[in-house]
Amino acid sequence: MNETVVELSRFQFAFTAMYHFIFVPLTLGLTFMLAIMESVYVMTGKTIYKEMTKFWGKLFGINFAIGVATGITMEFQFGMNWSYYSHYVGDVFGAPLAIEGLMAFFLESTFVGLFFFGWDRMSKVKHLMVTWLVAFGSNFSALWILIANGWMQNPLGAEFNPDTMRMEMASFAELIFNPVAQVKFVHTVSAGYVTGAMFVLAISSYYLLKNKNVAFARRSFAIAACFGLASSLSVIVLGDESGYEMGDVQQVKLAAVEAEWETHEPPAAFTIIGFPNEETQTTDFALKIPYLMGIIATRSFDEPVTGLKDLKAQNRDKIIRGAEAYLLLKKRQDVGLNEQESLLFDQIKGSLGYGLLLEPFAQNMAAPTEAELDAAADYSLPNIAPMFWSFRIMVASGFLMLIIFAYAFLLSTRHQIDKPKWFLKVALYSLPLPWIACEAGWFVAEYGRQPWAIAEVLPIHTAASNLAVSDLVISLVAVGVFYTVMFIIAFGLMVKFAKKGPQHSGDTSRERPTVADTSVTTEGAKA
Amino acid sequence: MWYFTWILGVLLACSFGIINALWLESTEDMDRPQNDVEPH
Amino acid sequence: MDYETLRLIWWVLVGVLLIGFAVTDGFDLGVGALLTLVGRTDNERRVMINTIGPHWDGNQVWFITAGGAIFAAWPLIYATAFSGFYLALMLTLAALWMRPLGFDFRSKIEDPRWRSGWDWALFAGGLVPALIFGVAFGNLLQGVPFEFDAYLKATYTGSFFGLLNPFAILAGLVSVSMLLMHGAVWLQLKTTDMVYQRSVQVATILGVVTAALFGLAGLWVHVGLDGYIITSAIDPSAPSNPLLKTVEVAPNGLMTNYSIYPWMMIAPVLGIGAALATALLSLRNASGWAFLTSSLSIAGIILTAGFSMFPFLMPSTTQLNASLTIWDATSSQLTLNVMFWVAMVFVPIILAYTSWSFYVMRGRLKAADIESNSSHALY
Ligand code: HDD
Ligand code: HEM
Ligand code: HEM
Repeated sequence: MNETVVELSRFQFAFTAMYHFIFVPLTLGLTFMLAIMESVYVMTGKTIYKEMTKFWGKLFGINFAIGVATGITMEFQFGMNWSYYSHYVGDVFGAPLAIEGLMAFFLESTFVGLFFFGWDRMSKVKHLMVTWLVAFGSNFSALWILIANGWMQNPLGAEFNPDTMRMEMASFAELIFNPVAQVKFVHTVSAGYVTGAMFVLAISSYYLLKNKNVAFARRSFAIAACFGLASSLSVIVLGDESGYEMGDVQQVKLAAVEAEWETHEPPAAFTIIGFPNEETQTTDFALKIPYLMGIIATRSFDEPVTGLKDLKAQNRDKIIRGAEAYLLLKKRQDVGLNEQESLLFDQIKGSLGYGLLLEPFAQNMAAPTEAELDAAADYSLPNIAPMFWSFRIMVASGFLMLIIFAYAFLLSTRHQIDKPKWFLKVALYSLPLPWIACEAGWFVAEYGRQPWAIAEVLPIHTAASNLAVSDLVISLVAVGVFYTVMFIIAFGLMVKFAKKGPQHSGDTSRERPTVADTSVTTEGAKA
Repeated sequence: MWYFTWILGVLLACSFGIINALWLESTEDMDRPQNDVEPH
Repeated sequence: MDYETLRLIWWVLVGVLLIGFAVTDGFDLGVGALLTLVGRTDNERRVMINTIGPHWDGNQVWFITAGGAIFAAWPLIYATAFSGFYLALMLTLAALWMRPLGFDFRSKIEDPRWRSGWDWALFAGGLVPALIFGVAFGNLLQGVPFEFDAYLKATYTGSFFGLLNPFAILAGLVSVSMLLMHGAVWLQLKTTDMVYQRSVQVATILGVVTAALFGLAGLWVHVGLDGYIITSAIDPSAPSNPLLKTVEVAPNGLMTNYSIYPWMMIAPVLGIGAALATALLSLRNASGWAFLTSSLSIAGIILTAGFSMFPFLMPSTTQLNASLTIWDATSSQLTLNVMFWVAMVFVPIILAYTSWSFYVMRGRLKAADIESNSSHALY
């Protein structure tokens, strides 16, 4: 396998995925915010809530369009760039992807159309139902894609079949109820809700600072504060749960995030901050809190958290067994196995992935040298420093946002939403925080999985397609150029419409006040 | 069962948002101009 | 259910998804490609875009779901075809990126340069995928150069320009003409005035052109193309490993199925007949019926490709035995079974709410509707 092709494919996948995930969390969160606003509209009949739904809906639409465009790339990239991956695990991994289309994308996309075009074509309650369906549709899509992604991290309910040379599904229920997928889903959608809430909070704060659209902004602010507080609490609790799950099934990742070089006596301490040093395999200037790590990762005081050095030694043993499985598989392909060998293969085929990991390092798989085994074992761990830092960035943003939402909520209960200017500024400048946290989170999750495409099953260099470097250069240039232009255009439109605010959106289609609506008109506020 | 928790949680969070808005509507003049900060 | 039945059912289901895609998203692609031809003024173009505004995204999901279903049901096809056709697929994706953005952003800014820029982007976004899908089918019918090693790792040895052979280009033209016809018929159904009249003309011409090009392709297949045949015993329940069988080239092999199962002739007959009927019905201003026949014509044309190749999905020209068929390129029995039930539950639900959304948005769109709507609640 050509090393450059693998590197470029990784880069392209990482770029397109991270890019897709700029728009995804806003869709996930904003749809629920829209549903809340429209519910209030239907319950109170106050047209200003309809205006709010429409205005935030317009910004949502700009975001949604790019989310869709970049999602299409994702759907086909597995086959394009990760062809052996697609063959090797398609039997398991393809299922949630197909279900995502059937259960989520159809729902979301059909009703998004009605959300925008159906205002005058159906009753209020029906339209409200449409909005809720959009929200649930987008969240179901997160559900299925994260079941797929969770399986890559923790491949349960599947078994290798040497006749077809691939992993095959053994239990659909295990795939769906994979504990990693479950916590991943709840943590990720909560991250989306935080994103939606922060978006609304920050832009509303901007209007309040500028003394524009005050009645509109105050209400949006209040809803965002409340929804955001609940979501940021849940993203933190569920993030902690992700950490616990990681301690269970992805010890390497956990050790990397914590820069745990050694296995310490339980209960392990948690390193708040420090400088991981790959060369000396220590963390310089570490500031530690005793006990905390043990509690997070094992929920106990007496279980040890395994350190990187020990994990590497364990992996080395697994690699040796993997080489054996690899040789048996080769023999099976070439001349066939006798009964005894077949039994042995069934026993050790779980380690086959480690054999594939060794393959590029070993001259002779039948007799790998000590140096080759060491090199493969080294390769089996991700780089520590980037993991350590991105995790801390995510967590820090999480706590910051919790404080912001808590204070915003306090203000709203005290009827002082627009009072402290300094806070409105803080809220406005916090706008990028959820995106920083989300991207950092995915980095931890995905980079921490390296060098595996499917944890302990399929190494990344085996997963790639047999493409020419020139193919990848062309596609990378295309993606780079188009995505950059797309981003500039969407960002420009977003800023333009956000600045314009609701009153200049030119919305003349406001309904003639019905009996229920006349209780409050918005004209006063708009003056 | 985290999936179950999610359904309850998201509906709860949305209800909080709705209730907060309804409560503010009934206790405060949300349409007052900016610098009138005295609560009722 | 037994493995053989499931494998057959999934051949049908993927067919249903592809036809669903061509019939629904097909008219959006057609409308996009006709945007600059049929719509002469900004308002006319806005009318055209707004006829598909509420639906294009849901329609496009047929395409996405077909991709996902191929991944789940025929992972080897997903792996081999998409990496083999790498640059062609990349080009398709680039064209498809234009559509969500174009539909949503075009009318948000007044500047005529901005708008005409998006008009051409939408034109490309409709035309390029329509062309490439046809070219891809043209190549599949002839077979493509790829090989597997013993671990079923695929290597594709063709090139991007190799895809552009004469027969494949003809297939591409059939696809373009058929989807543009469909787009024009949709416009007849949903518009009035000049846009309506131009669409009638376009649909009439393209109905005839589609029938002629498709007929020509049929003739070509009959006299000039080889097919493939499995020469080893077929075990429809064998594990999915394409290397376990032997395949040979069969002169005129793409016609074999029609002599074994003469009822399959329905497909090509429908393809041609319904296209001609579309031309006729358009002239008679029977838009609703024309939409029906145009849909049938699309179904007939896609089915013809499927029937001609059956049981092959993707023959290999360089390592004949590696050819992928419905008996050896599928997922495991469990996956096919689970996915079958998932489809049985969700497809009817999808059809129900999709129909509801078309019902809610029923009726023709006039230029006046757009003009009176400065809010851009419509695009
Ligand atoms: C946690 C959520 C999440 C994650 C991890 C992903 N997506 Fe996504 N995707 C969504 C959540 C989402 C969404 C919220 O449903 C989107 C985003 C914006 C949008 O418009 O819908 C969407 C859109 C979207 C679309 C367009 C759907 C349409 O036309 O309506 C496709 C085809 C994909 N995605 C495919 C993927 C693939 C193959 C991914 C993985 C590699 C992926 N997405 C990661
Ligand atoms: C949309 C949110 C996602 C983001 C931001 C993201 C981020 C990343 C990053 C940063 C990498 C690069 C790792 C590296 O090269 O070192 C990567 C790789 C990868 N991710 Fe994700 N990921 C996302 C979702 C997913 C999902 C949902 C899946 C599976 C369905 C997935 C599958 C993969 C695969 C197959 C790779 C292969 C390339 C590689 O590992 O290098 N990703 N992703
Ligand atoms: C104190 C708070 C937080 C903790 C303890 C935490 C913990 C974690 C952990 C351990 C992972 C890795 C899971 C894995 O690799 O399988 C993760 C991933 C992630 N985090 Fe956080 N997180 C926190 C806050 C946040 C915030 C505020 C956001 C965004 C608003 C966020 C967004 C994400 C995303 C998008 C992922 C990737 C998806 C996933 O693997 O679940 N996190 N988080």
